[in-house]
Amino acid sequence: MRRTLFLTAIAVTLAVSAQKKADIEVSYDYHYPTSNRIDNMRLLGNSEGSAYFNNSSLWLDSLLSTPGGKAKYNEIVNTFTTVENGYKVISMPNDYIKTIHTYIFNNPAENMLTVYDNWSENQGYYTEPYSEQVWEIVPDSTCNILNYECILAESDYHGRHWKAWFTPEIPMQYGPWKLHGLPGLILKAEAPGGFMFIATGLASTTRKVPTMFMSDKYTKVSRLKILKEDEQIKNNQASMMAASSNNKVKITYHDENGNVVEPPKYDGLIENLEPDYKQK
Amino acid sequence: MKKTCSSIALLLLPLLVLAEVNVRGTVLDRITEEPIAGASLIIKGSNGKIKKFSTSKPDGTFSISVPSVNGCRLEVAMMSYVKKSLPLDSVSFPLSVSLEPGGIKLKEVAVKADRIREQGDTITYNVGAFAQTQDRSIGDVLKRMPGIDVNKQGKIQYQGEDINKFYIEGSDLLGGKYGIATNGINHEDVGAVEVMENHQPMQVLSGISFSDKAAINLKLKEKAKATWSYHGNVGGGYSWQPEGALWDGEVFVMAVLPSFQHITTLRTNNTGVNLSATDFFASGRSTGLSQYVGVSLPSVPSLSRRRTLMNRSLIVSTNNLKKLKSGEFKANIDYSYNRTESSADNITTYFLDEGNRIVTENRFGKQYTNSLSGKFIYELNAKTAYINNTLKTSIDWDKVGLRTSGSIPNEQSVKLPDYYVSNHFRMIKRFKGKHLVTFESRNEWESLPQTLNLSMGEQTFREHIGDHAFFTDESASYAFTLKGVTIGLDGGIKAYFRSMNSELPDLPAELPGLTHNVVSTDYATLYVRPHLEYWVKRVNLNLMLPVSFSRYTFDKAIANHNETYFSPSLSVNWKPNNRFSGTLRGSLGRSPMSLRLIHPGLIMTDYRTFNAGVDNFYNSSSQSASANLSYKHTRHGLFANCVVSHSWNHIPYTMSQQLFGDYAVYSYSDAKNDGKSLSAMANMGKTLDFMRGGINLNGSFNRSESNLISQQKAVRSVSTGWGMGCKLSGSPVRWLSFDVSSHFSESRLTMNAESQSWLSSMTNELSLTIIPFRKWEWTIEGEHYRNELIENSYKNMVLLDTKISFRPSKRIEVSANLSNIINKKTYSYISYSQLSSFESLRYIRGRELLLTITLRK
Repeated sequence: MRRTLFLTAIAVTLAVSAQKKADIEVSYDYHYPTSNRIDNMRLLGNSEGSAYFNNSSLWLDSLLSTPGGKAKYNEIVNTFTTVENGYKVISMPNDYIKTIHTYIFNNPAENMLTVYDNWSENQGYYTEPYSEQVWEIVPDSTCNILNYECILAESDYHGRHWKAWFTPEIPMQYGPWKLHGLPGLILKAEAPGGFMFIATGLASTTRKVPTMFMSDKYTKVSRLKILKEDEQIKNNQASMMAASSNNKVKITYHDENGNVVEPPKYDGLIENLEPDYKQK
Repeated sequence: MKKTCSSIALLLLPLLVLAEVNVRGTVLDRITEEPIAGASLIIKGSNGKIKKFSTSKPDGTFSISVPSVNGCRLEVAMMSYVKKSLPLDSVSFPLSVSLEPGGIKLKEVAVKADRIREQGDTITYNVGAFAQTQDRSIGDVLKRMPGIDVNKQGKIQYQGEDINKFYIEGSDLLGGKYGIATNGINHEDVGAVEVMENHQPMQVLSGISFSDKAAINLKLKEKAKATWSYHGNVGGGYSWQPEGALWDGEVFVMAVLPSFQHITTLRTNNTGVNLSATDFFASGRSTGLSQYVGVSLPSVPSLSRRRTLMNRSLIVSTNNLKKLKSGEFKANIDYSYNRTESSADNITTYFLDEGNRIVTENRFGKQYTNSLSGKFIYELNAKTAYINNTLKTSIDWDKVGLRTSGSIPNEQSVKLPDYYVSNHFRMIKRFKGKHLVTFESRNEWESLPQTLNLSMGEQTFREHIGDHAFFTDESASYAFTLKGVTIGLDGGIKAYFRSMNSELPDLPAELPGLTHNVVSTDYATLYVRPHLEYWVKRVNLNLMLPVSFSRYTFDKAIANHNETYFSPSLSVNWKPNNRFSGTLRGSLGRSPMSLRLIHPGLIMTDYRTFNAGVDNFYNSSSQSASANLSYKHTRHGLFANCVVSHSWNHIPYTMSQQLFGDYAVYSYSDAKNDGKSLSAMANMGKTLDFMRGGINLNGSFNRSESNLISQQKAVRSVSTGWGMGCKLSGSPVRWLSFDVSSHFSESRLTMNAESQSWLSSMTNELSLTIIPFRKWEWTIEGEHYRNELIENSYKNMVLLDTKISFRPSKRIEVSANLSNIINKKTYSYISYSQLSSFESLRYIRGRELLLTITLRK
């Protein structure tokens, strides 16, 4: 009997294209270092792996991955479109616009993680071995997060020094963003400069650990290269646009009073989670 | 040096490794005997501290090196398995650790948005995270949100300041009558409440004119959008005082569609809930009329309104908003009816040698108020143009009857209809982003006839007052903005025409004076208002310098006058970051007295009081300064604000009273009347997430001083008061939620340095809701009042209510409500002196049983 069940389980697992039910769903808030922006992210995990993503983005990607879904999405866009003074105005609620592109998948069997993201309109992915994070447990440092006793561990990782609080009460080696590899779920992580991830909710779930939708649209990239390029593009948008359009399109930046100002500078050392691409 | 050390360490490393123990083995499922990958392995020392950790490989194996295993334990854990802990002292490797399937019980914390989050100038409160079981309307939940305060009338404040707009899904359907929404919309239909700080409702002014006010927007849940939703309830029962049947009914219909919004509500009750649609954004009418006749119902004791209001009330309100191709059109029509009764008995007992003499005075009054109002608005709110035309009409017809028995037994009945029409047109156009041109036109007309009928024994008196006014204000303005500086100038003309006549056929013989008035009080004003606004970094500075010239004509009642007024004001706002904001304001000015005081003849205001007008034209002057600080930390759910304000005023006249037998005549005479007042208020709210609750603390202080020199007599009076309160609410366990509040205040009056004693008053309220079974809810509520009437003599009062409700499904709720269980019927107190006692008796609502059924879609 048990065997039949087991076989059925395997069959079902195959049928849902290798998606397996998650043991846990965690909600994390990512606090940006230089602004008040907070992104809400989710982690769905089980013993075989985990996915870290934004819920609205996942919903949109799942919708757009099928032709029927695309039609449905167009329908939604239409309901938010009005014609004002002859112009089509689309005022979409934020839930229907993909603003957070990051997806991170843990694969403990292969000791690596895969990151999918969008860098200045370039969709790409890369993998990273687990060995890049080496955690040191800090004795006698504990704190309580969401009613879980957490232990402090520290690691240098890609140009920042991270402090992570994990709870052995939940034996999962995952955490927010790319942080992983502690004997318990990471509920909070901080790095100097104002970077912070904190868990805001945690529950068992019936959801499955998703796989990447439309992964064929992403090309393999090198992390250091793409981050370097991204900063370059962010800081030279105006001149690049001018060059590519034969000076027909000009981008100018205005402050709240309408005065032309210098474009805001992006500095990875201050704003990027992984500034190692700038460090020699 | 460092290098040397690490080299030595490297050399020694192989030696250390040799001495290490290799803890290795396989993790298996005890039942299937399959290897388990990804299990968490922790080696803990004898002190319980983590020494090393690892995870099992895909084939279930693991290998961890530790210097020694003395006193160590290996902990193996995995989701969906029971955790295993084994001592490492006396085991041999490789180990085979088999785990028993079973759950690791998660201490779940709902995976959902934060209770409060902040993005730019918008703060979003998650309604579900603040609502408690006993809450019904969105107004009930708003009260629990830190930073937001809803007063007894339903007016909403954010960080101590009134809000300037109330939106539903971004549309301003109700204007200032947003109480209809807060009382009517079910909180289960609302996903989030957004507070938009520094909200500038006119897009055309964005980036040009600063607003220190916040607006509220209700974000509805998907299920309540793009559909018609309705709910209603019918209740009936019995009241022990006033004896008779009770009713309470409501129908609420709402549609929030992309281009159309609609709310209709009908409510009626006689359970002590006053129903009138107050417009919280209404500015005063410029027609300046107010009633001379002042007959009002006996006052009610300082208990909660629903304990003392003997009413029959009805309100019907229908509100529509249609989005047009450009702009939107709104129509709001309301009708309300309220009948209120009130009575009071005063019993004075004189202790005399020949026996006690008892004098009683009884007053009984009934008031009927009917109000029908309509508001029709067209508005275009775009980035380059703003057009708004608001047409308002309102008809009120009020009637008051008051019977007094006692030393002057009499019966008064008053008719006070009021007719009002106004139109306000405003157009603002923005050119090239920097230039603003505004045209504005306001016209108002009002008529307020008043009739007082008085019968005293055989005699009857009838007084009729006619009072009409027309006001017009036409203005144009231009403003331009450059590098954060906006300079504007508006100018216009105002004109005002008012005529009043009154007639009193017979004056009591004792009184000297004219019995009739025919007065017209008109003025024409030319004004210019230069204004400057400066934005630099995080500071906004706003300076207004209005100057006006007025010509007053009074048709011989008093001499005509020409006056010039200058009333500058300055405000500075500083917002160094998103958490902190501070504002300083200062103003000074001179203003004319109320023109309604000009009348040569006497006007009777009630059966024993008459008003004589002024003989001169007076101007009063005032100065004021205030500071406002607010702080918030949304992630910690902390909101705090405080306001300190000081004002000085100088009025060159005072009211004086003369007695003629039983009658009192009030008139005005020259006097130096200087006053100053100081008030301070602080408020702090904090969420208590561990019990889904919150705490609110508030404190206030005020002191006002007036110096009056009249007829060579100087009177200096100082009144001082302070108060503090605390509110706490929460739901520590699933089956229980509570609200507790306590407020204490004290006040004192000092006349010419002679102080009366401090008198205190305290109110405590407690409400507990218990869910004994699923679908059932039981609420117990109590109020305790402790009022100090004279020094060290306290009046205590406890009132208890209970309610049981049953919800067989989401659509239906049946409830039974028993209020004032102990059936307290009066609020009375007695004070004694050596020769007499004085007893005051007021009536309150007695025990009431109400059965209600509620249906919702």
